Amino acid sequence: MKLYDYVLSPSCYKARLMAALTGVKLDIRPVDFHPGAEHRGPELMALNPAGSIPILEDGDLILTESSAMLVYLAAKAAPQWLGNDTALQAARVQQWLSFSHRLTGSLGAARLHEMLLRPGDIATLQWQGMAALRELEAGLVEQHIRGQRFLASDRPTIADVACFPYVALAPDGGVSLDPYPSIRLWSRAIRSLEGFIEMPGIHRLHELKPEPVLDAGEA
Amino acid sequence: MTRNAMIDEWYPVGLAGQLDTHGRQTALMGEPIGVRLGADGNAKVTGSNGRALPVCIRYGHVWSSLGDPQKALFAIPEADQPGRRLVDVGVVRVRCSPLRAVENFLDIAHFPFVHTDILGAEPHTEVPNYKVEIREDEDEVWATQVKFYQPQAAKSAEGGITTEYMYRVPAPTCSILYKTCPPRPGEWDVITLFVQPLAEDLCDVWPWMALFDDETSMADLIHFQQTIFLQDRSILENQIPRLLPLDPGMEIPTRADLTSVAYRRWLKRHGYIYGAQLVAQ
Amino acid sequence: MPAQTPAGPIALWRSRSGRAAAFADRCPHRGMRLSHGFVRGETLSCIYHGWSYAQAGNCLRIPAHPGLTPPETIGVATQPVEDSGGIIWISVGEPTARPPRFDGLAPLRSMMVEAGIAALEAAAGTKADGGLLDCAQNAQALRLLLSPQGKARTLMHVLVDEGTGPAKRIAASRAAETLRRKAEDILRSEVAQ
Repeated sequence: MKLYDYVLSPSCYKARLMAALTGVKLDIRPVDFHPGAEHRGPELMALNPAGSIPILEDGDLILTESSAMLVYLAAKAAPQWLGNDTALQAARVQQWLSFSHRLTGSLGAARLHEMLLRPGDIATLQWQGMAALRELEAGLVEQHIRGQRFLASDRPTIADVACFPYVALAPDGGVSLDPYPSIRLWSRAIRSLEGFIEMPGIHRLHELKPEPVLDAGEA
Repeated sequence: MTRNAMIDEWYPVGLAGQLDTHGRQTALMGEPIGVRLGADGNAKVTGSNGRALPVCIRYGHVWSSLGDPQKALFAIPEADQPGRRLVDVGVVRVRCSPLRAVENFLDIAHFPFVHTDILGAEPHTEVPNYKVEIREDEDEVWATQVKFYQPQAAKSAEGGITTEYMYRVPAPTCSILYKTCPPRPGEWDVITLFVQPLAEDLCDVWPWMALFDDETSMADLIHFQQTIFLQDRSILENQIPRLLPLDPGMEIPTRADLTSVAYRRWLKRHGYIYGAQLVAQ
Repeated sequence: MPAQTPAGPIALWRSRSGRAAAFADRCPHRGMRLSHGFVRGETLSCIYHGWSYAQAGNCLRIPAHPGLTPPETIGVATQPVEDSGGIIWISVGEPTARPPRFDGLAPLRSMMVEAGIAALEAAAGTKADGGLLDCAQNAQALRLLLSPQGKARTLMHVLVDEGTGPAKRIAASRAAETLRRKAEDILRSEVAQ
């Protein structure tokens, strides 16, 4: 499976993270998105006329929507991540998968504006981002009351992977995460998962490892 | 107020390879400027009142100045060596002082915590003593014999090695890092940080590299450097105060910070204080 | 986690053994916010260079110099913390009294409101008494503990009766969202006038 990837793109990171969590090995093809705008070049436009990345290629299957990639990776390697045990759970997964596009359009666009100088009405984007974070916080509070740590169940699902990257990187776009204690706990729960990988802007949870000591004789 | 001593310096204002006739609207030290390709095929930079600003093209970037540069842009002799690949990494905006961005670039002690498993890893956190000097002839800050444990020196490398670095500050918002080059012992890879001060607490950072590496794809090289810099960005946007404190009582350096100490001293000596805070507030 | 007090921003953290502490949110080394740091055992470490601090605020370890015992002069300012019935209280200066207890009440959630206490009182149609606002919203009784964060923001802690079931707790959380929206709308319409 080949992923056309940009290391700073939260949508590409969704696919990388899902693959890491489910133990799928991806063949990564780096794309010079910035500054080279390679995603708008002929080779990638032939694969995805929309001119966006990520693109996931597996045989003659070409996926250009990150949510579809999450479904594909989970269904192939670890179906429990699909979160379709019950009608309620399946609906919640779909609810948050769709919601995740609002995160891309608000927090993601604010981040591109603040970091890579892309155009946009920054005040509106930040305000929309804050509104989305409040919805997520309220949803997580309710899940916590139900005794569930993740968005659709007490186990992580593709819904969590779909929402996590743009949320965790909200500060890159000038949107603070300080006011959201439940998002903070949820983010830590995701970052503590077996197989979790970071992307730039999301630091390692150093507390997961005890303070390492240097063995005598080791340099 | 005294004349801003940094006004006559050269600053990066765009990628030479991305110049077009539409131009790029940007800023330099609070003044809006335009950078475009002129009808004669040369780069043009104009200030807020339409006045033409000095221009030079070097190291992949367009450079300009609000003042009257007294000397040519600093030399990087290695950049002209044949066989090096020149990498335009592109711009990243950071809400911090341009001087804080440079100081972070000069720091190695953060590698295990911020660039975990790439440039450093616990428990290898010790910073051995190194040499720092202000070279009076060139008027530059230099740190040499800087050694640090790097867990993964190259994609192919198994296990860690001790990497050697040299740091050089030839201008208040520019720094050059020389790093041991695994494919060519005896040569140094060149990694630079060119910072465009937009305001005292806002900057556009233009990393650039001149490497001996025929294996790695250009996109991979760009991604690697962007990864490193973006890991730093979340630190830089959360330092308090945003301006670089030059008051010695404000922050506590240790031996590992001698490059930063020399850099701050050099800034103060020259009155390079755009982006600095002189008195604790 | 980060929090605000009248004495400035703090990093609020709980050690492995469960003790809470409040530090000035700035590492004295290079000014990095300590609320971005990490907790190992009984210490909080800065994410930038890993300097670690004991609960009393004194610096215990500088990883760049593993052999060095940090001088006692290196430390961060702390504020007294008290954990009372699930609510963390911070005192600016030495406290003269114990924090209030709300017997029979349990904390549900904390929310930031982009409005001052006056707008919240207007939205609730009642006045706060000793920082506590009792009101009804969506046919739901709400008890709110208000902590001003400067003039234009309020941290609102939602309290419910102990033993309240999940359905009613969810309803209380939604009612608090409604009240916040009202308060912020009042503020917006005032600004627009």
